[in-house]
Amino acid sequence: MIQQIVALIIILFFISRLFWQRKNKKISGNEFIFWLVFWILAALLIISLKKIDSFVAALGFSGKGIDFLFYLSVVVLFYLVFTLGLKIEKIERDITKIVRKISLNDKEDKN
Amino acid sequence: MEKNFNKIVIVVPAYNEEKNIEKVINEVKPLVDELVIVDDGSNDRTFELAEKQGVTVLRHLINRGQGAALQTGDEYALNNQADIVVHFDADGQFLPREIKEIILPIQNGEADAVFGSRFLGKKSEIPRFKKIIIYPLAGLINKILINVSLTDPQNGFRALSRKALEKITIENDGMAHCSEILYKVFKNKLIIKEVPITVIYHDFGQGLFKGRGRGTGGFRIIKDLLLAKLMN
Repeated sequence: MIQQIVALIIILFFISRLFWQRKNKKISGNEFIFWLVFWILAALLIISLKKIDSFVAALGFSGKGIDFLFYLSVVVLFYLVFTLGLKIEKIERDITKIVRKISLNDKEDKN
Repeated sequence: MEKNFNKIVIVVPAYNEEKNIEKVINEVKPLVDELVIVDDGSNDRTFELAEKQGVTVLRHLINRGQGAALQTGDEYALNNQADIVVHFDADGQFLPREIKEIILPIQNGEADAVFGSRFLGKKSEIPRFKKIIIYPLAGLINKILINVSLTDPQNGFRALSRKALEKITIENDGMAHCSEILYKVFKNKLIIKEVPITVIYHDFGQGLFKGRGRGTGGFRIIKDLLLAKLMN
């Protein structure tokens, strides 16, 4: 019970940070919504740990609900890292396009 | 079918090649219509030395990799009415006199893309580790990832007709461009020919983990190929 309250306080802290960042226009609207949903979902899962316990047991796993959340978070993290990698690759390609354009333009200007 | 190919442009990507660049320019320049050096953000005097030789020099502000440099050269060549473009290395590992052999099939209208191969007759002193491990492995990966078989898929000495150039855009900035070009040549059903060439090895340019500049090293190349598959 105490652990759940601590977890919820931590989540509340992150959500307040989120609102603060939004207020100071440090993140875009989409990002704000994504993280808000993310943290609210995390809070809901923690509140309903008992239900997850029985759900996991019904699925036939021996672990507890908190373990299940842990596995889930690893999956989510992997997915986020993967999308991040793709995004970086796209940015790299865009950088190359800019560098190429500059080099070709420089040549034209000289001629 | 004899076609008239007027303008032959050589594209040489160069990254920190101040030791070799003048020699390559002096040897190649008399053989072609235009020599384009793409300085890929070198930290040394490559750019200045090349400019002094009076050839076309394009400069990347920052290092983007060999594939990126080749694409820059290709776009320049296309914009400047090139009929045939030859990719050539700046480190002196290819022989300039073999340029005429690699463009011949295109001039004769027999091929759209000609790839040099160090395994077709001519003698190249290939380091044993590369010959026994790296190249067969690279060949196998090409076969699996892009379903292309060529005797020498990682060779950087190649000639492309204007038709081929218009269809191929190199998107892999690093060394994975070798496989990418092959894949796109096959996908566009261009006519391919392999020509024996000589390769002179200076040092161990390409290792499994790291080579020189951006996007090099065997594992990085495989990663880039996989990533490119996901992105497209």
